[in-house]
Amino acid sequence: MESIKIKKITSVWIITVLLLFVASIVLGILMRLNQGEVISQSPITFYSNMTTHGLTMIGIWFVAGMAAVNYLMQRYVKTSYTANVFALVLTVVGVVLFWASTFVGKFHAAWTFLYPLPFKDMGSETWATILFLISLTVFGIGWLIWSVSLMAQILKKYSISQSFAWQHLTKNPTVETPPFILITMVTLVGVIACLITAVVLLVLFYAEYFSGGSFVNDALLMKNLTYFFGHTIANEMLYLGLAVIYELFAEVSGRPKWKTTWYVALAWNLSLVFILTAFFHHLYMDFVQPEGLQIVGQLASYLASLPAAGVTVFSIFIAVYRTKIKWSLTNLLFFMGIAGWVIGGLGAVIDSTISNNIVLHNTLWVPAHFHTYNAMGNVLFSLGFFYWFSTQFTAYFHNKKFTNSILALLLIGGTGFLLAFYVGGAESIPRRYSTYPAELSVGVNLATIGAVFATIYLIAILMFFFNITKRCLKILSSTS
Amino acid sequence: MQQQPILVLFLALAGAATIVFIYVFVSSKKAAQTDQGMSNPLKKRFWFLLILFVILGIFTSVTIPKSPYYLFAGETPTKVVHVSARQFAFILSEKAIDPKNPSGENIELPANELVEFRVTSLDVNHGFAIYDDSNRLITQVQAMPGYVNRLQYKFKKPGKYDILCLEYCGMAHQVMKSTFIVK
Amino acid sequence: MLKNIILNIIAISLCNLAIAQSVSSDVKEESNIYEQIYDAPINVVGKGQVSFQELYNQKPLLLALVFTRCSGVCNPFLFQLKENLALKTNDKSFNVLVLSFDPRDNMTDMSLLAQRFELENNEQWFFGTTNSIEELNQSINFYPIWDSIKNQYDHDALLIGINNQGYITKKLIGVRQGHDLDLLIASVNNIFSPTYRLPNKNMLFSCFNYDPKTGENKLGLGLLFIALPAVLTVLLLILISYLVKRKEPKNKEIF
Ligand code: HEM
Ligand SMILES: [Cu+2]
Repeated sequence: MESIKIKKITSVWIITVLLLFVASIVLGILMRLNQGEVISQSPITFYSNMTTHGLTMIGIWFVAGMAAVNYLMQRYVKTSYTANVFALVLTVVGVVLFWASTFVGKFHAAWTFLYPLPFKDMGSETWATILFLISLTVFGIGWLIWSVSLMAQILKKYSISQSFAWQHLTKNPTVETPPFILITMVTLVGVIACLITAVVLLVLFYAEYFSGGSFVNDALLMKNLTYFFGHTIANEMLYLGLAVIYELFAEVSGRPKWKTTWYVALAWNLSLVFILTAFFHHLYMDFVQPEGLQIVGQLASYLASLPAAGVTVFSIFIAVYRTKIKWSLTNLLFFMGIAGWVIGGLGAVIDSTISNNIVLHNTLWVPAHFHTYNAMGNVLFSLGFFYWFSTQFTAYFHNKKFTNSILALLLIGGTGFLLAFYVGGAESIPRRYSTYPAELSVGVNLATIGAVFATIYLIAILMFFFNITKRCLKILSSTS
Repeated sequence: MQQQPILVLFLALAGAATIVFIYVFVSSKKAAQTDQGMSNPLKKRFWFLLILFVILGIFTSVTIPKSPYYLFAGETPTKVVHVSARQFAFILSEKAIDPKNPSGENIELPANELVEFRVTSLDVNHGFAIYDDSNRLITQVQAMPGYVNRLQYKFKKPGKYDILCLEYCGMAHQVMKSTFIVK
Repeated sequence: MLKNIILNIIAISLCNLAIAQSVSSDVKEESNIYEQIYDAPINVVGKGQVSFQELYNQKPLLLALVFTRCSGVCNPFLFQLKENLALKTNDKSFNVLVLSFDPRDNMTDMSLLAQRFELENNEQWFFGTTNSIEELNQSINFYPIWDSIKNQYDHDALLIGINNQGYITKKLIGVRQGHDLDLLIASVNNIFSPTYRLPNKNMLFSCFNYDPKTGENKLGLGLLFIALPAVLTVLLLILISYLVKRKEPKNKEIF
């Protein structure tokens, strides 16, 4: 009974995520087309679409990771079905409110809603800002309760030190913490920290909003909080995807399950610290910020890449190198996703170097690298999970043609789309420009190229969408 | 012209990573049932991490001193320009700008001498990014309400320079622009 | 519960805010930066006639403009300055020049002023007059207004940083606290601090306050807000683990 319920709700999550994903990609392509001067939208339409695209994408891939982790966690501990449903309902309600604020209210302060822009968002409806803040609050509450509930379930079975696998740092550990539990725990701590930051940020926003001007926030503090929240959640959702890979990669490849060792434990514990301090790299160009924190930002950004990447990438290599394994769409997506994550990470490390950042900050280099480890990284992790999940319960035969064409389209579309961003960044094209000034006309051509390749990517996603949704609908209508 | 080497470095690294991934993948495809996978994985992992760590360490120690905060320290600028950004324009002036009555003028700056921009914002966050006459971003700083960021720079080439806003500031962000001349 | 804590913090902070916001804003502080100060001939008590240039070439200067018959800000201003600088006895990187902008002041007046503040034997402090006060005032945009009814000048307290090449590096208007003074001293010594705070904004929620003495940033109240989430998360973690552990025996019975 329990297992049917979790199967069904996971199916609902998958369908929701994929639907919203397709819609957001369409918005993305529209943005590229507008920048390419193929179509012509008003700036406000462009920027409210950009806001919708950004937050929807962050939201869906966060909940996709959470839903996957929740599903797989059933293998180790019982999870709360109620919390899962609650999160789903609040996510859907949140999306409705949020989309109303952008599509109807024309809220367009970007998904980072950097203070005090939401209060000086000319050209949008007066109620749009408060509706946006409410929608964020709805997301925040749903996700916070979900994460806390998952964490509580882990802690019922494992003590704090076990859930962080600290016993693996000693010589002969007696209890084994599965890597999945370790990574999930580390990630949940980060997730909860950044959701609490969001709460603090929202309270400060509300305080100013309702004080009628007598209370004014400090722009630097708000910016620090914004990126603590924004950067960290974007980073943690990737780790949710990694938890899934640690659990499933060996399994679907028909290989022995990965084990927690001392270096795996150490690496992930270190990641926790680095991830919570890496967000300072968003403030490099705020010379107001103390130099000490700028350097912490660069070091943490570098170091954050070491343990997680070093351990995960190497584990994948060990699992695959000269080893006969069962390749399927699931582990191929995982493998390709890891490659995308590494390449995006290289772009990120380059950008997180302060002396480079001065010519890359807020150019297209930024969307270039984060789209690499999202569209060609994290998304593929989640798609891999979706595919694996849906083929567990429905008749399935390996369709090589389907697999190959999806992968080829993703690879071609993704690479072209991303290269247009990277070259744009190197050509000093600013990010978040609805159209480019005449001097920067290279940006226009690059945008058109980007739109074409993004459409190829979209075709792959649509093929995937129909295949998976059909299966998930079957799971929903089945009774066992 | 800092960007070209950056792009080349990135493409080289990305290319190398791709080759490694393809190589590993192909080795799996070719592998016979009996192949035992990687020999001594623990040792190799250790070296892999160590090398990565050393490379990043070198990279850090080379790049940190080049951070904008440390350039030109100890020199007195020959000229100061006050900058107030607002939705959706930059106000530049050699005199201090009164936030209640902001006004600016055309700016001419000397080449090869240290110039200081005192950048702030009158409303939301903006970016203050300087583009040279080949439309390349050469330096930037944020314009934050309530704070004055000091950006120092020595222009090498005389010519016309553009200022663009590099922090999203609302519906006319993309047309927020100003210029100045270096002689 | 969390919300309560935060609202409490905000409520307390709001009370302080009223105080914090009373600092006046002045763009004049940003004017004349990196302009050369007028090279006026100066009559220094105990030293005689020197050029301004000789003084600032010797060491960077903090220039305080006062007049001896002032019944207003001048005395508290000098007193504060002396007190603040007394805390920095080992900082000999600059000198202080107290200069009269009142043509009525003569060397005796200035000498008496020095004695009144017990600074006549302090090597770091110069007291003096100049007969080129008009030009000097012009070069620093300082315009005291003569009020013939009160028989007083209406003027701001003004402290100016001049580096050893004679450039104005920073101005402070009003009687200012140690922190701003430190910024001024750093600036005359050409130490680059990449930012200044506009004086009118509330300082309360700022994360950091730059401390030019050490070149570091002191933590501000705002930093609490950045650290708060991490701290709360750890507390939450401990709390949850405590709560679920208490229920554990019950769970075991079920299984
Ligand atoms: C092929 C699919 C996608 C397309 C065509 C696309 C397109 C775009 C475009 C054109 C922008 C604006 C770039 C600019 O600043 O000029 C953008 C921004 C963004 N995208 Fe995507 N994107 C795609 C996939 C994704 C994915 C998978 C994510 C997952 C997290 C994502 C998250 C974001 C975010 C967070 C922003 C920043 C919005 C902002 O600047 O406020 N995108 N995307
Ligand atoms: Cu702007």
